[in-house]
This record gives sequence, structure tokens and C-alpha cells, in this order.
Amino acid sequence: MSDFSEELKGPVTDDEQVETSVLSGAGMHFPWLQTYIETVAIGGKRKKDFAQTTSACLSFIQEALLKHQWQQAAEYMHSYFQTLEDSDSYKRQAAPEIIWKLGSEILFYHPKSNVETFNTFADRMKNIGIMNYLKISLQHALYLLHHGMLEDAKRKLSEAETWRHGEKTSSREILINLIQAYKGLLQYYTWSKKKRELSKLDKDDYAYSAVAQDVFNHSWKTSVNISALIKMPGVWDPFVKSYVEMLEFYGDRDGAQEVLTNYAYDEKFPSNPNAHIYLYNFLKRQKAPRSKLISVLKILYQIVPSHKLMLEFHTLLRKSEKEEHHKLGLEVLFGVLDFAGCTKNITAWKYLAKYVKKTLMGNHLVWVQEEWKSRKNWWPSFHFSYFWAKSDWKEDTALACEKAFVAGLLLGKGCRYFRYILKQDHQILGKKIKRMKRSVKKYSIVNPRL
Amino acid sequence: MDFPSSLRPTLFMTGPLGLNDVSDLSMCSWQNVLTQPEAQPQNLKNGALHVTKDLLWEPATPGPLPMLPPLVDSWEPGLTAQDLLFRGGYRYRRRPRVVLDVTEQISRFLWDHGDIAFAPIGKLMLENFKLEGAGRCTKKTTVVSVKKLLQDLGGHQPWGCPWASLSNRQRRFSILGGPILGTSVASHLAELLHEELVLRWEQLLLDEACTGGALAWVPGRTPQIGQLVYPAGGALDRLHFQEVVLAPGDNPQFLGKPGHIQLQGPVRQVVTGTVQGETLLAVRSDYHCAVWKFGKQWQPALLQAIQVDKGATGISLSPHLPGELAICSRSGAVCLWSPENGLQQVYKDPETLVFRDSSSWRWADFTAHPRVLTLGDRTGVKMIDTQGPPGCGLLLFRVGAEASCQKGERVLLTQYLRHSSPECLPPTLHLVCTQFSLYLVDERLPLVPMLKWNHGLPSPILLAQLLPPPRPGCVQPLLLGGQAGHLQLLHLAGEGVSAPRLAGPPQSLPSRTDSLPAFPLLEPKIQWRLQERLKAPTIGLAAVVPPLPSASTPGLVVFQLSVAGDVFYQQLRPQADSSPRRDAQPPGDTRPDCRAPTASWTPQDTAGCSQWLKALLKVPLAPPVWTAPTFNHHHLLGSMELQREEGVVQQPGVLREAMAQGRLLLQRDLGSLPLADPPPAPESGPADELSERLREAWAGRGAAWWERRRQARTSGPRRQPRRPKRRTQLSSTFSFSGHVDPSDGTSPPHSPEGPPAGALPRSPITSPSQELTPDAWSQGIPSERRQTLHDYMAKLPLQRDTPGHAGTPPSSQASSTRATHSRQHTPILSGSQHPRKKPRMGF
Repeated sequence: MSDFSEELKGPVTDDEQVETSVLSGAGMHFPWLQTYIETVAIGGKRKKDFAQTTSACLSFIQEALLKHQWQQAAEYMHSYFQTLEDSDSYKRQAAPEIIWKLGSEILFYHPKSNVETFNTFADRMKNIGIMNYLKISLQHALYLLHHGMLEDAKRKLSEAETWRHGEKTSSREILINLIQAYKGLLQYYTWSKKKRELSKLDKDDYAYSAVAQDVFNHSWKTSVNISALIKMPGVWDPFVKSYVEMLEFYGDRDGAQEVLTNYAYDEKFPSNPNAHIYLYNFLKRQKAPRSKLISVLKILYQIVPSHKLMLEFHTLLRKSEKEEHHKLGLEVLFGVLDFAGCTKNITAWKYLAKYVKKTLMGNHLVWVQEEWKSRKNWWPSFHFSYFWAKSDWKEDTALACEKAFVAGLLLGKGCRYFRYILKQDHQILGKKIKRMKRSVKKYSIVNPRL
Repeated sequence: MDFPSSLRPTLFMTGPLGLNDVSDLSMCSWQNVLTQPEAQPQNLKNGALHVTKDLLWEPATPGPLPMLPPLVDSWEPGLTAQDLLFRGGYRYRRRPRVVLDVTEQISRFLWDHGDIAFAPIGKLMLENFKLEGAGRCTKKTTVVSVKKLLQDLGGHQPWGCPWASLSNRQRRFSILGGPILGTSVASHLAELLHEELVLRWEQLLLDEACTGGALAWVPGRTPQIGQLVYPAGGALDRLHFQEVVLAPGDNPQFLGKPGHIQLQGPVRQVVTGTVQGETLLAVRSDYHCAVWKFGKQWQPALLQAIQVDKGATGISLSPHLPGELAICSRSGAVCLWSPENGLQQVYKDPETLVFRDSSSWRWADFTAHPRVLTLGDRTGVKMIDTQGPPGCGLLLFRVGAEASCQKGERVLLTQYLRHSSPECLPPTLHLVCTQFSLYLVDERLPLVPMLKWNHGLPSPILLAQLLPPPRPGCVQPLLLGGQAGHLQLLHLAGEGVSAPRLAGPPQSLPSRTDSLPAFPLLEPKIQWRLQERLKAPTIGLAAVVPPLPSASTPGLVVFQLSVAGDVFYQQLRPQADSSPRRDAQPPGDTRPDCRAPTASWTPQDTAGCSQWLKALLKVPLAPPVWTAPTFNHHHLLGSMELQREEGVVQQPGVLREAMAQGRLLLQRDLGSLPLADPPPAPESGPADELSERLREAWAGRGAAWWERRRQARTSGPRRQPRRPKRRTQLSSTFSFSGHVDPSDGTSPPHSPEGPPAGALPRSPITSPSQELTPDAWSQGIPSERRQTLHDYMAKLPLQRDTPGHAGTPPSSQASSTRATHSRQHTPILSGSQHPRKKPRMGF
């Protein structure tokens, strides 16, 4: 036996579904392996009755949850609490997290459950699974926030923030940062409410100074709470947004810009398009010079060439004096229309039609040819097929006209799309189509004026 | 396109798997349902209201129903863990672990293919044998006389028979020869055997061949009519086109018999898609891919078929350009393929993307940009620009800390969620499924999943389909299918500037085994067979939203295909919002929920199930691939009776009597059973080569004879089968029949073997080797003997794999493939054998 047998997989513990990450070994893990093994009497240590009933109970709960039988799941849950007394210490430690996971789900959806029930459950679970105190507190706060109970949520977060137990680990630090940031976000909510009140009040109002003082205090607290988190790599859109808004309100423009620049350009952060969008919007609000705006959008263009800001980017580039910007402007338009979600964007087509004509008139045939080179083998069937000609004309004649003009310029007057639109008899658009025909004859890149 | 204005907060951590468990707060599904905190608090309340609405699809019947009229093919469940794993490992009692059962397999191999296992050893040891008598032997302890040994054997081959008695001489021989025989046979075989077992075990753990699914829906002329395209036939090599009429609120009607196309290999994946009014059908087999186009009459016309030498693992149709496909192969290559322009390789890397993984599974799909493809393997998903320089790309998903992956987590399925409706989800989302979780990744924000949800499916997710919203303004259902038949339905929301999220708790749908109560009460054996059939792995999933007549509730029909080729369907309708809330329930009511399944079987459903069952029972069972030997007196009796019919003097009456009295059957009761098998007579012709060899050896020409033999063997085809009788004689005393073999009841009784050794090749009973007609071949021989016969014929020199199906890898369908092939061949002359795929090993 020993000659041939080989341990294919690492040791298999008695646990199934619950803790699948226990298995050591670098290879792929198969959660269904356990059931295979159970079909074969492989020897091994027999599961105790206790373990059997708890694991059966767990699967019943999961099944009931997936069938939306909340009441039934709750009843099974009642029995499942016995797992907290498991003699297997590993299981006993993992139990609170599972119970929280399933229990909170049941209480979230159960028709008879209410916030009080959830609160009681969460408070109890926090203290059973000491290890999960912070996680549960945070989720509890999110639940309250979801139910619109901002004050309660804030209180829970404050409780969690001051909680200390055992040694400090890096993961706990992150969690505490998260909790503080959420607290900051809640403070921002109050602040922005106050701010709205303030804007309604008269400056001479006797309450004005009190509210203004309030607003100021909040800002200070929030900045402390949020700034720690957003220094860590991650996606922190809501936090950054609110933080910047507050900084801006108090005139700390440099601070806001620094936060946004860091959020957008720090290499440790994921390439989040929103970071660049926030920065662009901020700079736009600050009336930054065009070149600065262009440089921000240039990076966004590299990440998301299909974003709707690209049309704004094009306008900026068109207005620029630099020739290379004019060229980039063409590239941006072509880039937007490469994407499946943008094919019916009439503004983009309008811009493209106008801009291609302008570029050709400006004797920059090479630019168009350069863009067209990589697209000529798929744009015709992607945009300018007979099918699209028919359906575009039916759905949106204006779009069809713009597209036809571009098709004519790029593919010549023999193009099917162009010919189809040309053939259509439309009273209002008749003049436009005629003009289009003339332009195509004159400027089409297929027959460059020699 | 809009980008979500504010994304869910996530910690971003780079590194290997299992590192980042901090930010993984998405452990509960309700977390994903929560509207993320917005910067504007005022719309917080609206979001809360929007979510809590419970989304539930109610199945119209408690389980899926079979497609009618029934079209049932024979199917065998194939290998199970029980066949491969070591049972009763005493030494693993402390730490149970997976150990492949090599001992049982090797003993089976030695038993079934002893000639292959031992003949080479015999050849090697020939020089050192003393073939003459032992009289003058001085080295008594080391030299064994072959003559005496043969005498001891005396025609009783104890080989494999645990009850055979051994003489001292034999025992000595086996002790002496044991080390040599044992190690050499074992070491040569073990490698191959182990390789094969590992392969089979891996296949059992994860059969990735049908990733993506082999069932597809082709919309027809009107929204009500469509076609289901799926493979059927025992080997899944016949592509069926079944027309279906969808009536709102009613069961789908299947029109007539499906049209079909016979293919060369098993179909693994079927994809359909309509782009710019042109409907295409792409099919992936193990080594071939083909694409059809549906014409005006909704008849498929083949556009092109290509061969993929290394094995194709995935095919997908472009949602942007008509007639463009992406295929990928085990070699790590991704090709863009269009019937007009042919193949264009856009990427090739035999290594996996993120870290080293042994799997050669690859997957290719499209993205929102028609010139950018995704390439997926077990470790990640990459976006490749087909126009850019080769080899470059951007990782879209990484199995690592970025997505808070667990240890041992691997990608099982990746899919581009092509947009079916512009007003719902953005067309930039990709679905990535692992054993544990489901991820939604936006290609505009690579590496950071927009949504992560722990699906908890107990079988690998290999099928997924995003459906259009059943009603305008609704959320989009996402259907997930596990290989073991588990189905889950999720609801995705995330239109416009909001980030994609789950729009309610996920839901499980009934699997095929839930339909068991709809079938009539059956006797255990048939019940077992039906159960096996319903438990067959799911290899295809297609869901259709039937057209809406005005003001009616939307519906959903889910079709599923099992590996046995059965199509089942399930109708679903959304739960009425106006239904009495459960709060109205009286307190203390122990009934779980008033949401208890309201669906029940109608007489129509059960009639359909019975009809389907009837068709299933009509199907003859395929011969088992191999069966474990058991001692079964029924077979013994049957064989005895038949032997008597053949004119062989036997006394089954004695046996029967003995059994009736419950006493031991003694040899004297049977009379001449052992004596009826005389040792091979010298004059029994060329079949008796041992005597010939002995004779030659006696005359001192042993080596020359061997040389001659060998030449004859290598040069020309052998005219005579080599020693076919020995172990078959033994088998007439007990039968090979699986203890779980359901064929016991239906297969004809045990066929006898001709006892006189000399008469064997000529005896009428051995006619299978002469191969009259395939039908005779399958009818005349009881199923349990067929395997032996296969093995027997596999040794004959004419035996060659035909190139046509040389590429078919050994699979669980081997037996059915074999049966199909044998039926296609015309009767062949005596002595020649029909081709068959020779199994790599004897199991």
C-alpha cells in the first residue's frame, strides 16, 4: 500500500462547510471533498452524535435561509446554539462568528424581527465572540444606519472605538480605523444637516452663532476620524467625498487638494476612476487652469476611456491651443465610441462628425487615418452595418444622420450605412442630408483629394 | 457611460491569498443588500425602503419536470469516490485522509489483464527456468521445476481464486519469485496506474469539461417559439434542436421530435447569441469547435469547424460583432476566430496568470470593448487588447488578498455579463465564481470586486446566466448552477450611478432530485436507477423569460440538462406582492412559515413523469465498465443450467439440492467438475503453445523456438488468440457481477465457457470473438462477461484505435461510446475485431 498510496490532499478534518480554510496545503481546496469522503467508509474517527446533530442543524438553517423560510431558520437557530458548547475547541471558537452570520441574516429578513431584537442579539453576540467584537459592532452600526437610526449607530461606533482587549494587531487597527471613519461619516451627516439649517437661517438670527459653532465642532472631530483611514490603500469614496466637502467649506483648499491628489495618484491605491473624477470636479470648482484639468482627465482617459467626462475632456482639448491636444481630442472621441455602452451616444457621434470634418478641413488627414487604421477592420461591422442603419433610422433619425455622416467620411460614399440613410426620404432632415452628401464627397478619407 | 458615483468602502491589500480577512465584511448576504453610505444623507431613507421588499420566485411545481415526449438514452453513472478511495483504512483512523485505493485496482488489473502483467516477466525469466523434471536438481531450494509446477497446477488455475489450494512447491515458487514478480510488475504498473487514478480522481473532484454549459436557447421567429440546443445520446455526441413553445403561465410545449446533428465527439459547451439580427450557435467539443448560423427557416447551417490539438477549454460568442468568437485551449492560447478571417492568436502563455497552478483550464470571453478579451485561468482573469503588443494586458481579477480570497480558492468560472438591457446593469461587469464566493468585477476598476458574496454552494459552480429584467424597472436575476444540480437565483441591482449590489436575499431553486415524489411508487431497484439518473451532474442551464401578455405577471422558465442527456424544466413566477404578509399568522402556529411551498404536483405533472419513466425503463442498460466480483449463487445456477443445455454434463440439481438443504456442496457431489478440465492436451493444436514449447525445450531448442515465436508475433497478425481459456474456466464457478449492478435483473443468464480446452476456439459459444453482428454481440453475452470479452479482444493484434476517435480521452462515457461505435460498424469477418478505444488501464 505504501508503495503506491499518496496523500493527494492535505489532512481532512471533520469540519465541513463551516471552516473551509482550515485545510493546509497550497493546492486547490474542494469544499465538496468532505461529502465524497463521507460516502466511503474511509475509517477515520467517527463523528460524535453532537457533531452530527450540529452539522445537520447548520445545513437545515442554510437551506431554510435559501428558501426564505425565516421562521423555520430561526427555530433551527435556536437548536444550533448548542455548538457554543462543543468540546472541540476549534469549533467552539469558530461558532460565534457562524451564529452571528446566520443569526443576523435571519433577523435582517425575518418579518417579525425589529430593531430591538437585532440590537439585543448583536449586543449579546459581541460579548460571546470577543474576537469578533469590532466586526460585529461595525456591522451592527451599519444595520442601524440602514434603518435610519444615526444616533444609535454613532453610539455603537463610539463604544467600539474605545473597546480594548488583548494585544493590538494590525487587523484590529484597520478595523478601528474603519469604525472611526464611519463615525466620522455619521458626524458629517449631522454636520451637513446643520449646514443646511444654517443656510436657511439669517445671519442676524440669534440661533446662528450657536449653530455655526456646532458646525465647526463637528468638522474638527470628523477630520480626525476620517483622515486616518483614507491614508490606507483602499476605496474610500464616501469618506473622501465628505471629508473634502468639509475641508472645502472651511476654506482649507490646499488640504482638500492634497487629500484628493493623494487619493488619486498614490500608487498603493487601486486605480479608482472616482478618485480622478473627484479631483477633476474639485479643480473645476476651484476654477483651475485648463491645462491642469486636461492633465487630470488625461489620466482618467487612460483608465476609463468610456466615461462620460470624456466628452467634456474633448471639449477642453478642442478649445486648447496646442496642436497635440487637438489630435488627442480626436483620439478621445474615437475611444469613447469603441465601447459597447456608448454606441448610441448621440452627443459623441455629433462631436465626432463635426470634429472629423474639422480635422479633415484643417488638413490633418493623417490624424484621422491613424485613428482609423486600428478600427477599419471592425468599426464597419460594429457601427456601420446595414442592420444598424435600419434600426438606428427607426429608433433615432438624428443619431442615424450623425452616424451616416461619420460613415461617409470614413468609408466613402459607397458605404452601406451612408447609402441607406441617403435613400431615406425625410422632409425635415432632407436639407441636412444633402449638405452631408456634399461634405462627404469633398472630404471623405477614402478618396483623398489628390 | 456612467461610473458609480461612490463605491463601497474596501480595504485594498496586495499579496497572496488568505492574507486579507479584515476588510472582508461581506460575510453576510444582508451586508451586500445594504445601500452603501452615501455622501448625501437625505436619500438614505429611500434606499432603505427600496431594499427590504422581498424578492422571491415561486416554483410552479415542487421540482423540475422532464421534457416530453421523452427521449431517453442509456447512461451509466460512471466512477464514484467509492470506486477510487481506499476503504477502511485502519491506519488513517487518527487522521483521516484521502488515499486512492491502488491495491484494489492493481489486483483487479492483475486479474483481468494477467497476460499483460506477467508475460513479460515470464519472458525475462525464461533463461533461468528449468523446464525438465527436478530429479537431477542439486540446488533444490533455488530452482523450481516447471514440469512439476504444471503438474501441481493440474488444470486448476488457482490464480485469483482465494480458495484454491497450493502445493508446497507452488508456495516455494511463489516465495522465490515473489520479490521479482512483485517489484517489477508493481513498479511498472504502479506509475501508470497511479497516473490514471489521479487523473480520474481529479476529474471526479472537478470535471471542468462542461464549464459554461451545454444547453442553449435560440429565440425563434416569434417571442413564443424558440429552440433548445443541447447534446444527447449516450456519448453526448448528437446535437439536438428541440422546438419549444412558451405559453405564459403554462408549461412549455415541446414540438415533435428534435432535429439532430451527429458529431464526432462529445459536446461540452453550447453557446448561442444574436448579434445584429444574426443568430449563431457555437459548439465546443474536446478537440473541436464549430459554429453554425441560423438561417431564415431557423435551420442551422454550418459555417466552419476547427480542430484544437491541445484541447479546447472554452468558447464564447462576441456580443458586439456578428460571427466573431473567442476560443482558448489547454496550451494557454487565446484566439479570436471568425469564419471569414479564420483564427488570429492574440495571446499565448502556458503559465498561469498570478501564481503557479497545475490546471491547464483556460477561459476566454469578451468585454465591453470589442477588441479586448478576457483570459481566465484558475488563478485570475486578465484583459488582453487584441490590437496591442502580444503578451501585455491588465489583470482584472487576482486570486489573492485584493479580493480577500481564502487559502485554496481558485477561479471556477468567469463570465462577461453581456448587457441585455441598457437600463439595468452597466455592460462592463464580469462575474467570477470560485468554490466559495461570487465576485462582480467592473472592468473599469480592475482588481477590486464591486461585490463579493459567499455563495455556499456545495458543488462547483460551472454555470451562470444573467437574465434580462422580467419587467421593466425590475432587478436582474442571475442564475447560478452547481454541478451537482444545485441552483441559486440572485438579484442584481445597480443601474446608473449606483454601485452594483444584491437586491435581496439569494434563493435556491429545486433541483432534479426534488422531483422524485412526482414519480410513481417503484420497486427499489428501479427507484435506485431513477434516483441515480436524477442525480446525474447538471451540465447545462438555460433560462427564458417568456413574452409578457399585457398586465400579466412575468414568469421564468429554467431548463436544465443533465449529463445523461435529460432536459428538465422548471417554471417560476415572482411571489405576488399582495399576498397576505406572514405577520397575519396566528401566534404559536408551529408551521414554519406561511410561505411553505404552495406548489404541488398536478395529475398532469405526475402523468408526464410516469411517461418519462416508462421511456427510461425501456432503455437497455449499458454494459458496466467494470464490476466487482461477488459470489452469487443465482448466476452460478444460471450458468449451470445453460451449461446443461449446451450438453455439458453438469449437475445443477445437486447444487440446488445442497443449497436447499443449506449444507456445503462437496466436490464429490459435483462429480467430475475438476476432472472435466483436463490439462491442455498436447494435440490440441496451435493454441497449446506451452506443450509445444515444452517439447521444443525438451529437444534443446527452447531459445530458437522462442525466437521464432517472437518473430511470428511481431511480424504477422496472430491467427490464434493466446491462451484464452485459463481464467475463464475459473469464472464459471463464480460470476463477475457488481453487487450494485442493476443489470442483474435484465441481462440474460450467465453464459458458459466451453470446458474442453482444445475445443475452445472453435466452440460456438466463443462466437463473440468472431463478431457476427453488433446486436448479437450485445445480446448473446451477459453484461458481466462483456468486459472480459473486451479485454480478450483488446489483446488481439488487429486491435487498433481508429484515428477518428483516437482523441477521445478516457471518460466515464467510455462504455457508451464503445457501444455506439460498435453499432456503426458492419459485421466483420471472423478473426478480425471491431475497433474500440482501449482503456489505458483495466478499469
